[in-house]
Amino acid sequence: MKKRVNINEFGSAESCISLLGAEDLLPLPGESKEQFKPVKDSFVDKYDFSLDGFSALSLPVPKTKDEEQAIVRTFLQGLEKLFDKQNNWGFLQPTTLSTSYCMQCNTCNNACPVFIESGRNDIYRPNFRSEVLRRIYRRYFTSAGKLLGKWGGADLELNWRVVYHLAELSYRCSVCRRCASVCPLGVDNALLTRELRKLFSQEMGIAPDSIHKSGTMQHLKTGSSTGMGRSAFLDNIAFIEDIIEEKAGKRIKIPIDKKNADILLIHNAGEYISWPDNPAAFAILFEAAGLNWTLSSESMGYEGVNYGVWYDDIQFARIATAQIQAAKRLGVQKIVVGECGHATKALVSIADRILTGDMSIPRESCLPLLESFVTSGAINFDPSRNNFPITLHDPCNLVRLMGIVSPQRNILRHITPPGQFREMPDSGINNFCCGGGSGFAIMSSHNFPEWRNSLSCRRKARQVLDAFKDCLDPAIPKYYCAPCSNCKGAARDSLIEHFGFKDKYNIIYGGLVELMVNAMANMRQPFISWEDEF
Amino acid sequence: MQSLSWFVTGPFIYLAVLIFVVVTAYKVVGYANMPRHLRWDLYPVPRQGQEGSKYQKVDYSKMPPFVSAFHEMKAISQEMLLIKKAFDHNPQLWMGTFPLHIGLYLCALWLTCLTLGAGIEMADMVDYNSANSTLMTAMKYLTLSSGVVGLTAGLIGSLNLLWQRYTDEDLRCMSDFVCYINLYLMILLFGTGFAAWAIADTEFSVIKHHIMSLLQFKPGIINHASVVLELLVFGIFLIVLPFSRMMHFAAKYFFYHNIMWDDEMMKPGSKMEREVSKYLNFKVDWSASHALHQASWNEQVSPAQGKGGSWTDEETG
Repeated sequence: MKKRVNINEFGSAESCISLLGAEDLLPLPGESKEQFKPVKDSFVDKYDFSLDGFSALSLPVPKTKDEEQAIVRTFLQGLEKLFDKQNNWGFLQPTTLSTSYCMQCNTCNNACPVFIESGRNDIYRPNFRSEVLRRIYRRYFTSAGKLLGKWGGADLELNWRVVYHLAELSYRCSVCRRCASVCPLGVDNALLTRELRKLFSQEMGIAPDSIHKSGTMQHLKTGSSTGMGRSAFLDNIAFIEDIIEEKAGKRIKIPIDKKNADILLIHNAGEYISWPDNPAAFAILFEAAGLNWTLSSESMGYEGVNYGVWYDDIQFARIATAQIQAAKRLGVQKIVVGECGHATKALVSIADRILTGDMSIPRESCLPLLESFVTSGAINFDPSRNNFPITLHDPCNLVRLMGIVSPQRNILRHITPPGQFREMPDSGINNFCCGGGSGFAIMSSHNFPEWRNSLSCRRKARQVLDAFKDCLDPAIPKYYCAPCSNCKGAARDSLIEHFGFKDKYNIIYGGLVELMVNAMANMRQPFISWEDEF
Repeated sequence: MQSLSWFVTGPFIYLAVLIFVVVTAYKVVGYANMPRHLRWDLYPVPRQGQEGSKYQKVDYSKMPPFVSAFHEMKAISQEMLLIKKAFDHNPQLWMGTFPLHIGLYLCALWLTCLTLGAGIEMADMVDYNSANSTLMTAMKYLTLSSGVVGLTAGLIGSLNLLWQRYTDEDLRCMSDFVCYINLYLMILLFGTGFAAWAIADTEFSVIKHHIMSLLQFKPGIINHASVVLELLVFGIFLIVLPFSRMMHFAAKYFFYHNIMWDDEMMKPGSKMEREVSKYLNFKVDWSASHALHQASWNEQVSPAQGKGGSWTDEETG
């Protein structure tokens, strides 16, 4: 139930400080809401659900005073390190500025899809968790806060509950940075969310298992966050070659470990497992365009993800460095990242300033290259083959955080008949997150998926319905194009399974390259099908 | 009483100006000297102009960066003068913050005009209040209008913002005490300035002559209580300003130019590369089990060189 939550009561001992109810959520057209499933008592006794009734982190409830004090102590240790040059040089300036200069004007609030769609639940305000952080920082690390208390803006007493609530709350924001883009000052509350996650991971060892233990740790150990080793990868490639043969009518030998190729194409390895049509479509297009390209079968060379970008600088740096080293060993001219937003941003943009010397090899998004296929005439497309309504999702990492806006639109204009491609409301840099950003799409702890599917993805569902409002009749097949693996994962779990868009409206989702191949003039059969998908 | 008045309008003002200048400079230099952070840009980046992000091009790293000073100036001017983002995304707030900031800008102009006027008069040239030349007359009216309009706009804006803080439940629940303290201080600043003008100094000649005495390091005694109060509040404001979040006027430069619009790429042999190479040798002291303790960033990513063995064998949290 929605209620007012004051920041200075954030550490209260209530069983749940702001319980989220399904009835609080803004209704979607045609939606019949169901209550959230109650959490088993045995879980409530063991794990902390006291923020909003959900758990992303499986935080164990402390049993003794010593354990409670240790939580507070280690949190404060970590907080100090966030503002230390040696420990956090990579984000010291933005963290310091965003901690110091928020004017509490709430302009960011209306930019946040989670806050709005939750029915304006106080704790989901983008500036709420940041404000908690600021008040703790002032209270323990500034003279004004120590001397003046609330008169110095430090009116929050720290206890283990505040720390736990803050940890959970750092996983209720998808770090889409829409809030930062509207702030008149440039204060970045999403950055502070990430800094909090970093503190919890790097100092306290607290992170969602899906992201850390079976994410980055598994990635570094096996070469892929999926756990897919080299032989499994090669099996998948053989399977993809079969798909190509079946759909394109000819077998393509996908180049693997080709030395000195112009391009190393690196996919989110989730594509090989969940959406093999996507790497298949890339192979068809690259071969049709006559590119000198390769995939890598080497550990770290066939997995583009870098979950570290969501929560941990150390893991981020390790993965980015290892990916570059894999590319260097092949002697490729550049790396092109497939349809994965966070992987592109991590490797192309954020890693740029840790890659010194000969580590600084060119890295690009796939979208400009794909655009060149349609603008150069290298491949012959027949737009009439995509004669169905299509809308485009803008992955935050590619669009707002890298400015890649026009290539995907230019492609769609070339490969669709007039009138079939329609923008969704708030497109381009004003886009809304798919709901699966910053790790949400892969996080599966306790009832967190229910929170993600029903709340975090809700705005995207609303946008998709709006984009297709003139053709919601299920007799008309529709395509939600999401050129990002993470966003596709969110679409699968939320739009298709939770909201039932396939059954109700005949909307399917997929990437951009699938649409491109579907429009290739020499394809003997459609590459996209509404019957056998999903 | 006179000596207290002299202290407030003389030594206290010198002290306030000194604190403001020194602390502001210290903070700005401190921010400027922080390590070059990792890329954290946010689009659109105005200096990329209509070309947009270079990431939209094949082989972008081989292309010279496109820089449009016009687009950058346009964006920053809209933001500074019109507070465009507040207008676009929070029009209710804009109703208060726009007049407040215009008030501040005009008051800064007013102080500049007063100081210039005082300087001109000190140089035995002319008192613009009694001069006949067009230029001096223009300056007189510029001083008058910027002062009166600035103080009025600032007062209206700060009162509006305070009213919003009290009446808007959403704002109230997010506001700490400092928000209110800052707003009351702004109201006092503009309010006492406005009152001094209305009661005792309709042509700003009292304040101008006092500035002249301050510039000559011979602070005089002001016999108008309202002007003394105005200067007392002004001095307090100057002292509080660089310690407060109101110093966002300087921080905003870093937010925009150094973070959101910083799209500079790493180039081999560049100053950035030399700096980053230095940072990568910083020792890391994070405590989680997957971090190598007291190892440098370079060692963190290269387990063979690290002190703590292979990072892939660590326990996970």
